[in-house]
Amino acid sequence: MAFLKILFDNLREGPATEAFPFGEAATPDAYRGKVTFDETNCVGCNMCEHVCAGGAIRFSEKEDGLHFLIWHNTCISCGLCAHYCPTKAIKLSNDWHLSHLQEEKYEQVDHAVVPYRHCTSCGERLQPGGPMLHQLAFKGTNPRSQRLMNMCPDCRRKASYSGEAL
Amino acid sequence: MKSFDMPVGPLHLSLEEPMYFRIDVEGEEVAGIEITAGHVHRGIEYLTAKRNIYQNLALIERVCSLCSNSHPQAYCMGLEKIAGIEVPERAQYLRVIADEIKRAASNMFNVAILAHIVGFESLFMHVMEAREIMQDTKETVFGNRMDLAANVIGGVKFDIAEDRIAYVIAQLNKLEPILVKEIIPLYETNSSILSRTRGVGLINRDQCIDYGLMGPVARGSGYAYDVRTAAPYAVYDRLDVEVITYPDGDVWSRAMVRLKEVVEAIRLMRLCLRELPEGPLTAGPLPFIPAGEAITKVEAPRGELIYYLKTDGTDIPARVKWRVPTYMNWDALEVMMVGGRISDIPLIVNSIDPCISCTER
Ligand code: SF4
Ligand code: SF4
Repeated sequence: MAFLKILFDNLREGPATEAFPFGEAATPDAYRGKVTFDETNCVGCNMCEHVCAGGAIRFSEKEDGLHFLIWHNTCISCGLCAHYCPTKAIKLSNDWHLSHLQEEKYEQVDHAVVPYRHCTSCGERLQPGGPMLHQLAFKGTNPRSQRLMNMCPDCRRKASYSGEAL
Repeated sequence: MKSFDMPVGPLHLSLEEPMYFRIDVEGEEVAGIEITAGHVHRGIEYLTAKRNIYQNLALIERVCSLCSNSHPQAYCMGLEKIAGIEVPERAQYLRVIADEIKRAASNMFNVAILAHIVGFESLFMHVMEAREIMQDTKETVFGNRMDLAANVIGGVKFDIAEDRIAYVIAQLNKLEPILVKEIIPLYETNSSILSRTRGVGLINRDQCIDYGLMGPVARGSGYAYDVRTAAPYAVYDRLDVEVITYPDGDVWSRAMVRLKEVVEAIRLMRLCLRELPEGPLTAGPLPFIPAGEAITKVEAPRGELIYYLKTDGTDIPARVKWRVPTYMNWDALEVMMVGGRISDIPLIVNSIDPCISCTER
């Protein structure tokens, strides 16, 4: 008998399921979905690749910079990459629309190039280091630190001694 | 009376996971039972020694979906013990919340399946629908319905800010009346439930101790053992956890323990949200894990989960070994089933809430 009331209430309240695919399914902001990557903030520390449980992230060093690859099909949305990324260049979006045809399974890849920097004084190749890293390391920048940060260690030392960077 | 051997499993309509029983039947009665394990062995313990400590967080979480928070929690506690890492208070409270929300959802799942086996499908759906409130909460707070990915070494990687606290409390307020006013009274009084579950699958307190039983199975026989009070971890020592026991040791008692534990889990979550202190979420960026050994235990929804960890100073563990409650619990099926009817086998198996994927990993 007690259950009749529940059945009646359910009837009155209508369907409890979401109308998807005929309507939008509610997606929370924090939902762990497709990985996004911002090459301007990546500093090439490779931590995301190291912690990636699925082996979905791959970095390789090429002439023009660090090549970043993410295989979305291999990603298990664990969020470890985003957690350990010092500059939050890699994040998880709440996009869960990842279904695709079987023949497209090897195309679920995003590629980006993180360009090397070049010393503004001698032109030597430097590891990438976006503005976020300086923000983290120095809690803010000034014109002098901005000039110094784009030099190689040798030129930076010389510039500091000669006072030209002041 | 005619006696014969009846195989049940490894793939069988009434079993949720692959188990294989050879049941010795005399007429309608079970006379003996033999359990064969190993159908879903995936070599996960071996794999942990092939991956670094960070990757293992995600691997270990995927050992089993229903206790998926307890495994990383015990694993992180082990590494923290070896490295002497002090987990910040806020993270400790958040860990309890993650633990309890999983317990609530896991217990409700098992109790819903009980209704399904009894054939009371509308009750099954009603409990599953109520459980959805917890699933939605998990998705909103942690980003996934099952794998919370809550723990990292030295803390947690999720936060519950002020607006989220209000949301979680509203969700708990939605679930609690359904549970206390509708679901629990139904399981306590409905004749279809009672006639199939009362006095079925009996095991007494002494047998529980003999077999080393854990969790709701032991508590359903009046054996009040709970890691959260026997060896409190995180901040359980401050929460005054109520250990729920029922004296009779039948299928019904085990279900009632699980339902009452959901009510207790709701209370614990509320308490943690109110007491949640300010502070950092992790102990620091990257831990150094020296060579060492540690044993930790936590109360998973199915009972005591023990982890043994051995490290050698690298970031790849030398050995990770765990013991899950189902390992002992399914051995005791012998006691519960012999003398019972064949038709009660699925109910009895479900009453230990077996997790085969944890046990055989
Ligand atoms: S979410 Fe996890 S599996 Fe996916 S790319 Fe990041 S670390 Fe790898
Ligand atoms: S995305 Fe982040 S973690 Fe990965 S290499 Fe770049 S800065 Fe490092």
